[in-house]
Amino acid sequence: MMNKTLIVAASEFTTQTRSKAFLVGLLMMPIFMIVAMAVQKFTRDATDIKDRPFVVVDRTGVLFAPLKAAADEWNAGAKAGGVQTAPLFLPTAASFDERDDQARASLSDRVHRDEIFAFVEIPADALDPATNARLQYYSNHPAYRTLPAWISNTVNREIVNLRFRAAAIDRAVVGRLTRRVEINELGLVQRDTAGGIKAAAPVDKVRTTGIPVGMMMILLFSMMSGAPQLLNSVIEEKMSRISEVLIGSITPFELMMGKLLGSTSVSLLLAVIYLIGGTMAARHYGYGDSIHASDMAWLLLFLVLASMIFGALFITIGAACSDLKDAQGMMTPAMILMMLPWMTWFSILNAPESRVSVGLSLFPTATPFLMLLRIMLPPGPPGWQIGLSLVLTALTSMAAVYAAGKIFRTGLLMQGKAATFGEMWKWVRAG
Amino acid sequence: MRAVTAAIRLTDVSKRFGGVAAVDRLSLAVPDGSIYGFIGPNGSGKTTTLRMIMHLLLPDEGKIEVLGSADTRAARDRVGYLPEERGLYKKMPVRRLLRYYGRLKGRTIAELDPVIDEWLARMGMQGWGDRKIESLSKGMSQKVQFVAAVVSRPALLILDEPFSGLDPVNAEALKDAVLEVRRRGATVVFSTHDMSTAEKMCDRIFMIFKGRKVLDGTLDEIQAEYGFDTVRVRTAGGTAALAGLPAVDAVNDYGQLQEVRVTGDPQDFLRQLTSRTDVYHFEVTRPSLHDIFVRIARPSPSSEIAGGVVS
Repeated sequence: MMNKTLIVAASEFTTQTRSKAFLVGLLMMPIFMIVAMAVQKFTRDATDIKDRPFVVVDRTGVLFAPLKAAADEWNAGAKAGGVQTAPLFLPTAASFDERDDQARASLSDRVHRDEIFAFVEIPADALDPATNARLQYYSNHPAYRTLPAWISNTVNREIVNLRFRAAAIDRAVVGRLTRRVEINELGLVQRDTAGGIKAAAPVDKVRTTGIPVGMMMILLFSMMSGAPQLLNSVIEEKMSRISEVLIGSITPFELMMGKLLGSTSVSLLLAVIYLIGGTMAARHYGYGDSIHASDMAWLLLFLVLASMIFGALFITIGAACSDLKDAQGMMTPAMILMMLPWMTWFSILNAPESRVSVGLSLFPTATPFLMLLRIMLPPGPPGWQIGLSLVLTALTSMAAVYAAGKIFRTGLLMQGKAATFGEMWKWVRAG
Repeated sequence: MRAVTAAIRLTDVSKRFGGVAAVDRLSLAVPDGSIYGFIGPNGSGKTTTLRMIMHLLLPDEGKIEVLGSADTRAARDRVGYLPEERGLYKKMPVRRLLRYYGRLKGRTIAELDPVIDEWLARMGMQGWGDRKIESLSKGMSQKVQFVAAVVSRPALLILDEPFSGLDPVNAEALKDAVLEVRRRGATVVFSTHDMSTAEKMCDRIFMIFKGRKVLDGTLDEIQAEYGFDTVRVRTAGGTAALAGLPAVDAVNDYGQLQEVRVTGDPQDFLRQLTSRTDVYHFEVTRPSLHDIFVRIARPSPSSEIAGGVVS
């Protein structure tokens, strides 16, 4: 029996690793990270270089000039190096009475005609700290935050300066007196075997956060590159009646286990490739000592458990459906379970010992990802939590494989319509 | 019946789907080394029977023995199977696919490769081992599917509609391949809708209708049950000349020739006919398998000519 299971596993492994999807999966994580960094840089540097002309109605009479000077300084910075990397802010002064709605309407028309981007009114009592005066910013681009934020910061800085001057207080003295005392985050002081004391090292975010998150991402990407392929594989075999030929040679359970083992092997291969690449990169940047063999072992163990659970889930969906269209409807619960670690890992990062973090990391479909993250975040969870999570996940994995085997056996030869959840439950209970 | 060495033996086998009996108390024995034809109209239970033999479906009642084993799974490695609808991986190269299917039957690659080469050559597909299935024509794919069923050198080969959809050249190649498998000692069971193929190839023919066995025997035995009640005639008057003749029970019209089932003495029928029209051909014969099939499976007369049924 084992031999045939291994033959199916080898075929599944070969088919998946020779497909374009595998190559895409292999490159997906590095490409995703490079693209994310590139997009960040691009959006920061060069996405928006459109001029932003705007009108300033300064009823204080003293703020337009410093605002204009600040805009000139901004614009010079935006064009530094010969390449424009930010929009130019082009303020022009205007004046009208604060009760003049016609003037506001005229300026609004100019905004509509794209002659100006926005206009702002600075109230006459803006300098008086006793009032509750507010700047009035008008625009038809409410989502664009850069200009109003810049105007607010610039005007407020100047207003504060003027208020200090009016109170005859030296701003430079205030600056010195209000300087913050920053915090240095350190690890713990270590004792060596000779009884000597080793000074605490500063906390390095790459070591304490970046590498654990990176390991969890390797686990997620590796699993996502393997298990979902089983859905297509089972549906293809079902639609092309290949299953009928295979079941003539092998039991449905052997076939399913072979597919699961093959897919898990693909995920393990990907994880090993990522780990080798990640370790080399870590060494290159001086973080080689932050990746431990035990962390890699945890990752691979959790990957096997995750691949079994999600692989069984996708096999079940494939066997219960007649085509990909049917499968899409059934994918929702599986996708929610897959997305759970995506949606929650950040809160675990902030408070790995919180009740929510403990609860989430013990939830079997999320355990492989979130418990790995907690294990890698110092000081790590207590042993009983790790043990319990392993037991729960292993039991879930076995239950998923058992149920998938029952559904696979019946669903595989069923054609024409997708099974309902009720029917699948009946198949599982049928024994 | 028990004396025959049977490659397959079914005893009172029944299978129901949602209360409808697809196979109803079916018993049959397929003699070892024979070519056994399954015939029957669509939905009569042929494929269900074959699937139960292959252990793809389990019978609700009754016993099935395959190659001497009551556990049909135990014999699985010695049984080759070609399903009604072809099951091939489109993206897989031919040789990889054939090795995969062969290895699942317990063969090693070293054992399989010469057999694959031999069968591809026999099928006129030398050098096609590296081609992907998706690049093959329907006929070629069907031949690959057949090779997949025989690469493990099975003792029993089960073919569900192997000739359907094939052009005459490919059908001929497949027929030769089936005969070759039998020459090498295997038992071959195939289902077909082509009565002339069944007549020419099968040692024994089994017909299932509405889940029940209605025929089982050699062609001679089956035809003998019906006697010489059929006359093939070619006349100047065609079907019109047959209308109203009392001896005519049913007419199968082939245009240039009519096959007439007669009651009573054929000579009386000849006299009646010659009194009406010029007779060019008159041949008293046994009914063909096609005719027998139609007599059993026809749901109701579609048209009648004076007491005779015309198809």
